[in-house]
Amino acid sequence: MDVINGFAFKNMLLAAARHLDQQKDKINALNVFPVPDGDTGTNMSLTLSAATKELEQFGNGEIRRLASLLTRGSLMGARGNSGVILSQFFRGFSDGLAHVQEEITGEDLAHALATASQTTYRAVMKPVEGTMLTVARVAAEHAAQAAAQGAGALEVLQAALDGARQALADTPNILPVLKQAGVVDAGGQGLVCLFEGFLMGLTAAPEELEELLAEMAAPPAVEAVPQVEQEVSVNKYCTEFIILGSGIDPHQVRGELESKGDSLLVVSDGDVVKVHIHTDHPGQVLEFCGALGELTEIAIDNMRLQNQEFASHEESHHLDYSVGNNVIDFPVNSGQSEPKPIGIVAVVSGDGLAEIFKSLGVDCIVTGGQTMNPSTEELVRAIDSVNAEQVIILPNNKNVIFSAQQAKELAEKPVGVVPTRSVPQGIAALMYFVAEDSLEDNLAAMEEGMREVKTGEITYAVRSTVAGDLHIEERDIIGLAEGKIAVVGATPASVAQDLLRKMVDEDSSVISIYYGADLDEAAAQELTELISAEFPECEVEVYAGGQPLYYYIVSVE
Amino acid sequence: MGQIHVVTDSGSDLPVKLREELGIQVVPLTVRFGDEVFKDGVDLTAAEFYARLKQETRMPSTSQPSPAEFVEVYERIAKPGDTIISIHLSSKMSGTYQSAMLATTMIDPKITVHVVDSRAASLGIGVPTIAAAKAAQAGKSAEEILTEVEGILDSLRVYFVVDTLEYLQRNGRIGLASALVGTLLNIKPVLTLVDGQVAPFEKIRGRAKAFKRLRELGAEFRERNPGKQLKAAVSHADNQTEADALAEALPEILDLQDEVVVGEIGATIGVHAGPGTVAVFLYCV
Repeated sequence: MDVINGFAFKNMLLAAARHLDQQKDKINALNVFPVPDGDTGTNMSLTLSAATKELEQFGNGEIRRLASLLTRGSLMGARGNSGVILSQFFRGFSDGLAHVQEEITGEDLAHALATASQTTYRAVMKPVEGTMLTVARVAAEHAAQAAAQGAGALEVLQAALDGARQALADTPNILPVLKQAGVVDAGGQGLVCLFEGFLMGLTAAPEELEELLAEMAAPPAVEAVPQVEQEVSVNKYCTEFIILGSGIDPHQVRGELESKGDSLLVVSDGDVVKVHIHTDHPGQVLEFCGALGELTEIAIDNMRLQNQEFASHEESHHLDYSVGNNVIDFPVNSGQSEPKPIGIVAVVSGDGLAEIFKSLGVDCIVTGGQTMNPSTEELVRAIDSVNAEQVIILPNNKNVIFSAQQAKELAEKPVGVVPTRSVPQGIAALMYFVAEDSLEDNLAAMEEGMREVKTGEITYAVRSTVAGDLHIEERDIIGLAEGKIAVVGATPASVAQDLLRKMVDEDSSVISIYYGADLDEAAAQELTELISAEFPECEVEVYAGGQPLYYYIVSVE
Repeated sequence: MGQIHVVTDSGSDLPVKLREELGIQVVPLTVRFGDEVFKDGVDLTAAEFYARLKQETRMPSTSQPSPAEFVEVYERIAKPGDTIISIHLSSKMSGTYQSAMLATTMIDPKITVHVVDSRAASLGIGVPTIAAAKAAQAGKSAEEILTEVEGILDSLRVYFVVDTLEYLQRNGRIGLASALVGTLLNIKPVLTLVDGQVAPFEKIRGRAKAFKRLRELGAEFRERNPGKQLKAAVSHADNQTEADALAEALPEILDLQDEVVVGEIGATIGVHAGPGTVAVFLYCV
């Protein structure tokens, strides 16, 4: 195959999405730290699924249109750091195909891979070698060599895959943490899977391909779903669709639709405008937008019926969401009253922690972080749902910071990200929020404030590994200080004590313990008493966090 | 020329010894536990008040002195031709200032009364009152004294830590700090006074950290006022230990010439701030 036409290009992307989905657990297992929320594979797979979902709605048309849908879909669907980098990879890849008319040649492909690699490097503030950045770069270099020798598209792709595999195998030699943990870079592995999927899509026999595409007809759900926790909207129909057409002004759309309902969200990316609204008049909304361009992906749900259904199946409902969706706890009555100057969105897992964040003035909680990183789109939606002129995001997880920054770029409101890497950092940052101050002053104060606290997390190991001097067996209880494994032991309580011994010093005055969903209050109280006795000079406070996977989150300040 | 007298109210938390030495008249506010009525500092000492607060289930309340009570004091201490400087609780927090103003229209017009709205509480009223009394003893004119009092009040910064926001909230004196109510975490806010009412200054986790912050705020006040002579006072509600510790730390932090005045918060302020409260007052002269 010397060239790739639009049909083949689409197959290539769909096959890659399928392959990545199949391989995601393998990629998840490559996390450097054996914590249960290592989800690089899930994040990359969901990001690509979100992107290909956009493609599926679209015919076998132009490569440029497919590429632009790919960019938009992956930017909005990006979850976790690896997902954000992947979305930037696609953005560069699509840019590199901007000049392509009908078919992608080997040279075009090599060029697109080169711009993809460059875009990923630019997206990261401090590029680190031995990661997926390196894998993408070496793949692009191999592709360029092949193209220079006159190779066709398929051969160039094969060269890229070979290069990617070589670079992946080399990642432990570049990053000692990988070598010590006995793994290759997870994000790099994801990219290798991506290239493998591309090749499968191009070389698979027609019947294999048909099977693949049939499976892809039911991709994992990645869209956030209207919430039960939310007050029932006064408007009945949740209406979502995409307008295709050039030169659509999102402000005009917004201006026109504002009077038609609430929870309005209009996101534009060039010639694609995504609209979400709760309205009693979906017909009028579609009529208006249909005049601006082609409507696609139209979904209209009756929320009142849904809410009744949810109310009667609350248990199963929660179960459903924990599998694939991030719940956004939309603020009540958004859009009804005067917007406040600054609203706050926080990404938090666990009922107790969500309540604590709300009590500290957070307007919108996006559930997630540990088990499921929210997508850029979910964050954009949360930003839009807050009835405020400007919004501050607290990611509360190192793997969400990047998506939050991407959401900041895509949102229409001015947004600031306080790069909180943990729940305690988020709480510490909130102590410095002053509603009357400017966004800039708040961001500066909150970023400084978040550094006043030390974070400890207690969870279990999902595989055996070595971290520094510590030998860890699968299912051992591990304690992380500032995200790094510091303690290993047999019980959550003993690990919490050991971890706190490392964290508390003469300047410490407050120890906070947030216990997780798997523990009861009695166990937490018992630990609290032990801790109080051991550190009499500190005030020890205990709260029900309700977070999954982490027995305890502790903070020292 | 007549004599100058200095008057304040029981919200000033002046130590008894100082007010006797300086001849300051204190008009008491009324404190009520249900039907039981007390005059703050007259038939209810601070110690008695906090002891009672622990036993009582009824929440006490306060009420301002009536204009007639001011008239009685003004006419008792001053003779025609005399001048009174009467410094009182922030008009945003209490009607005491209003009563005093009304009283001035009811007395012998030959007595001149200057009523000052301190825009403060506790020793925030107490320290300018002390300065006024000393200046009067030194023979300064009413205008000079008022200038001095205003100078102190303009430079005054008040920071305080309460044990719980409950008392401020229940008595409707929480002002702008209402945003802090309802937090699930054990937050020890550092509060301040802005435009004469309570406002949140910072949210702090843990009492030790809050007191550390009070000391830091002293250092920051010194940095903001280079080359000026600084003064400080500390008042407390049934919390001598933490107040003394703070008062001992301040001379070095602020490079003070004078001793730190330490006052006990009486019932008038104690009803609203609650036991455990410690406040620091920083100002320039």
